Amino acid sequence: MTLTVNARRGRSMNDGRIAANGLVKEYGDVTAVDDLSFNVEPGRVTGFLGPNGAGKTTTLRMVLNLVTPTGGTATIGGRRYADLEEPTRVVGAVLEASAAHSGRTGRNHLRAVCIAAGFPQARADEVLELVGLTPAADRAFRGYSLGMRQRLGIATAMLGDPQVLILDEPANGLDPEGIHWMRELLQQLAAQGRTVLVSSHLLSEMQTLADDVVIVAAGRLLRQGPVEQVITDVSGQQRVEALSLEPDKLADVLRRDGAIVSSSGTNALLVTGASAAAVGDAALRAGIALHGLRTQQADLENVFLELTAGQAGIR
Amino acid sequence: MTRLVRAELFKLRTTNAWWLFALTTLLSTLVMLVVVAVSAHSLLQPFAQYLAVASHGHAANLPPEFLARLTDEWTLGHPAATQAVALYTAGQLPGVLLACLLGVVLITSEYYHQTATTTFLLTPHRTEVVLAKLVTAVLLAGLAWLASTVLSVVAGALFLHAEGYGSQLGHGDVLRALVLNLAAYLLWAVFGVGVGALVRNQLAATVGVTVLYLVGASAASTVFELLNTYVLQRDWVLTAQVIVPTVASAVMISPTKTFDQSPAPWVGAVVLLAYGLVLGGLGVAILRRRDIA
Repeated sequence: MTLTVNARRGRSMNDGRIAANGLVKEYGDVTAVDDLSFNVEPGRVTGFLGPNGAGKTTTLRMVLNLVTPTGGTATIGGRRYADLEEPTRVVGAVLEASAAHSGRTGRNHLRAVCIAAGFPQARADEVLELVGLTPAADRAFRGYSLGMRQRLGIATAMLGDPQVLILDEPANGLDPEGIHWMRELLQQLAAQGRTVLVSSHLLSEMQTLADDVVIVAAGRLLRQGPVEQVITDVSGQQRVEALSLEPDKLADVLRRDGAIVSSSGTNALLVTGASAAAVGDAALRAGIALHGLRTQQADLENVFLELTAGQAGIR
Repeated sequence: MTRLVRAELFKLRTTNAWWLFALTTLLSTLVMLVVVAVSAHSLLQPFAQYLAVASHGHAANLPPEFLARLTDEWTLGHPAATQAVALYTAGQLPGVLLACLLGVVLITSEYYHQTATTTFLLTPHRTEVVLAKLVTAVLLAGLAWLASTVLSVVAGALFLHAEGYGSQLGHGDVLRALVLNLAAYLLWAVFGVGVGALVRNQLAATVGVTVLYLVGASAASTVFELLNTYVLQRDWVLTAQVIVPTVASAVMISPTKTFDQSPAPWVGAVVLLAYGLVLGGLGVAILRRRDIA
């Protein structure tokens, strides 16, 4: 009972926005994170992307007070993690898959957290159900597959019904069904108004999952913003591909309207500077039959590779 | 804090650690009881009988120095209270080591099983985590002392009765030994938590503590004897052996002087406690700044 009451009270006081402000982490000569600032908004899934060694994990651990920054601050709802009175009721984090004693059962792992955090024991059974782990609840952790470990991690994070979720590579080890399940869960949690920050290098997965992205490489911020906006910003204007048996005639018509047109194989044109609708209208006016018309969407992967080109991941 | 201690106890209860620790404590107490009872059985005999057994029936033609040594041993060991002390604290040698190792493992297993992340996410104030583990270790060490002592006192009193003596439980020296034994369990548990906070590698910490515990005293005595002979021929050099934890423990527990220059028992207790606190304090100071990755 107290659980729901407290969680609601916490939510109203605290908007769950994550703010990183000039975060720096130096390990000897290596600057793993270099003056990194970004914001993560509630009610959205934010993808935290970067090549291996970009400093993603270090950054997440600084947000969670596990790693001490060399400089800068990170706050959640305006407060540092260490200053949260009941951190598990505000933030749930999934950081590494193998984070339970190998001889302890999944249910007992969750119960231990419940005792330490003052949650009712029944909460353990609820989150087991939530992540679909109930059938394996009384098996020792050492027998869990990687996917089951990820699920137990998510269950642990959800114990306090937190406003903010932070996940480091949660898709690792999940099978396609597991990935689908996680995507639905995270989107559903964001739809409830929670802040969801997910690091990953699975770009196609991120494109379907995330609303916003924060892209880093070599410890520095490259881009942040809504996925579509970042893609457009980086890849420039959309291109439209048009198929017609009269490509030259169509090209003339479109050029007259001010579009830039190039040929892309027999019967195919690539059009920049006109929307698919405008191309279709122009073809109709000129009496040219169109056999195909589609907008070429640059994807997150192209954008990511373009942005991070030359920023060697391993330093 | 209560919640954290309860969680620590729960964590122990839900792994093998719990019954392994309990079983080892009781079994090792039992083995030590047998060893002590065998020696007590001969020492509690009248001198003539003791001599006959110890010399394998050749008491008449013993060399005088050997006879003198046997006489000393018998004089020292014959009082029933002395044997009661030995019996009632029989499990001390392995029991105290186990309590100390439990303190070590309470902390190092967090790294060994990579649960440190979860633990410190739950409680960002790391000092609280270490304090909870300290309280847990002390509680369990007390419990181990209780289990070992109950077993020893019941078995020991029955044995003494069979030998024709009373339980000796009214004797001041016996009660004092029981209390000091408890102090040894508790202080070594604190020491263990200190070591665990400082040395996070489970294997290094447990092996290191075990070696120190088992050979620390004899190694220290050799080193300090050499120092006294070749470097500085003062009595206080030998007294200074008490700075070695194992020697401190022996000085604290022993009803008689451990060695000729040994200081008062309370010095041993202070040294042992200081080790636990300094190591623990240092460990916490480092742990607070250490990155959990």
